Amino acid sequence: MILQILLSGIATGCIYGLVALSFVLVYKATEAVSFMQGELLMVGAFAAVALTAAAGWPVWLAVAVAVAGMALAGALVERLALRRAMGQPHLTAVLLTFGLGLMLRGGVTTVPAATHSAHQLPLPGLMGQVEIGTLTVSLAHLGVIAATVLSCAALAAFFRFSRAGLALRACSENPRIAAMMGVSTTGMHTLAWALGAALAALAGILMAPVTFVHPGMGVVALKAFPAAVIGGMHSLPGALAGGVFIGVAEALAGRYLPEGANHVTAYVLMLVALLCFPRGLFAGRAT
Amino acid sequence: MRSALTLIGLVVLTVLALGLDYGLGQLAFVATWAVAGLGLVIILGQSGQISLGHGAFLAVGAYLQAGWVAMGGPALLGLAVALAGGALLGALASLPGRRLGGLAFGMSTLAVALIVEEALVRFGGLTGGASGLSVPPMTLAGWAVVDPLHQCAVSAAVLALALMACRRLLNSRLGRAWRAVRDDEGAASASGVDAGHAKLLAFAVGGALGALAGALYAHWLGYLSPEQFGLHLSFELLMLVFVGGASRLMGAVWGAVVIVALPQAIALLRDTLPDGVANMAGLELVAFGLVLVAVVLWRPAGLVR
Repeated sequence: MILQILLSGIATGCIYGLVALSFVLVYKATEAVSFMQGELLMVGAFAAVALTAAAGWPVWLAVAVAVAGMALAGALVERLALRRAMGQPHLTAVLLTFGLGLMLRGGVTTVPAATHSAHQLPLPGLMGQVEIGTLTVSLAHLGVIAATVLSCAALAAFFRFSRAGLALRACSENPRIAAMMGVSTTGMHTLAWALGAALAALAGILMAPVTFVHPGMGVVALKAFPAAVIGGMHSLPGALAGGVFIGVAEALAGRYLPEGANHVTAYVLMLVALLCFPRGLFAGRAT
Repeated sequence: MRSALTLIGLVVLTVLALGLDYGLGQLAFVATWAVAGLGLVIILGQSGQISLGHGAFLAVGAYLQAGWVAMGGPALLGLAVALAGGALLGALASLPGRRLGGLAFGMSTLAVALIVEEALVRFGGLTGGASGLSVPPMTLAGWAVVDPLHQCAVSAAVLALALMACRRLLNSRLGRAWRAVRDDEGAASASGVDAGHAKLLAFAVGGALGALAGALYAHWLGYLSPEQFGLHLSFELLMLVFVGGASRLMGAVWGAVVIVALPQAIALLRDTLPDGVANMAGLELVAFGLVLVAVVLWRPAGLVR
């Protein structure tokens, strides 16, 4: 029983963690506080659904194209809009991304097919359940955890071994010195937004087998803020760990605390973290 | 003086364009939003901090007022209760961010707002829960404020008092402390300004004004439900301040005019569109988002100017 709660908590937490990762990636590189990660997540999931259901593409191809397309969209949004908010107070980017998010959510809502029926993304191999001993495990949960681990490993390898990854890290650490070393900081901002949007889209696609795909699914991104704060706002591994921590805490609160408590768990934890651990629960070296 | 004349011209124009009752009702809302905007102007423009959950302060004021009046308390005293409740919540919401400043305030106010919203739904016995709560009209010493003209007069009076109080505050020691903290926190601290205290008081004042606006709003609308006070309201208020300008108090009034006029303009625009387009769900979201993005892109430094 407790194992099952933990597992579903970890799976939900992986989603939170991925969104938090996308948020922190953008925040570290461009100092923009993004309120549109939830909408990017939702659009990514819808893109995958549309490509499979309407265009009849094979699922894996649709997923790959949706993630790549969202990366492109993220780069475009940075080029066209967010670049203008650089160097302004936080609120400028907050309002800008919130407005863009509203446009995305409204835009998807105007498509009748998107709102009139609930959609699910049939990821093969991730439907149904499997029995391990006395434990009944949902394959979707296992799939989410595995996909998160894989994509984080790929992201870590990108940051560790590729030239662009190194440049992005340098740019997040100190943009001025990075620019002196020949790194194109504006290019890195675009890259950060592309990666951020792709990660958010991936989170949305991974959510699809667990919940339905609908225009309001972006609210899950509100949990990215507590996850990022608990992770210390500046640490990518911290954001992921923060997300998993919140997912597990919510699952436990849902089981052992009065009804409704699990809805505020994340925010209470965020307040506690700000009060007691202002540098994040896992304060360590920044990546 | 010029702004006063423009304001009077605007009032006359609104009443002429929208008809007496409807126009005055809308003006009552403008004055109410302006009171809430004043609170944000103090937090954002004067002390340079950030509040992403200002809707929660309005919610607390509105529900306190509704509860107080339902228990038979006099409405005027209810406004004082709401004011105190808002100040307390503002101070509490600012505590977690106090040591970090900047974005941490944004995060802590956001968390408080989301918790308040959930609490309003959860404690349905007191708040009517998700299905809402109706609020009786305001009565001041036996005089029921139901007429739009009277509502408008009461809101305008409250706004005028709030403006005067804010002006006094800004010219006081505290106002100077806020501006010092905004411009350079380190220098302010070195000059003997208690920066943490100044920030706490900025949030207390901002929360109090938000709650005052919420209490009026409860009476004018006559019906409360938690989703009115969600994230959307907080961002509408931020947009209000961004449009009006946070550097001066009158910015809140101009911003409030825009925020109240915007849905009307969108509705008007909708009438001119062909039926197939006008009936699409989500059009309001797109229009509101579009205006927000356009305003920010047009003047990215809206706040500082």
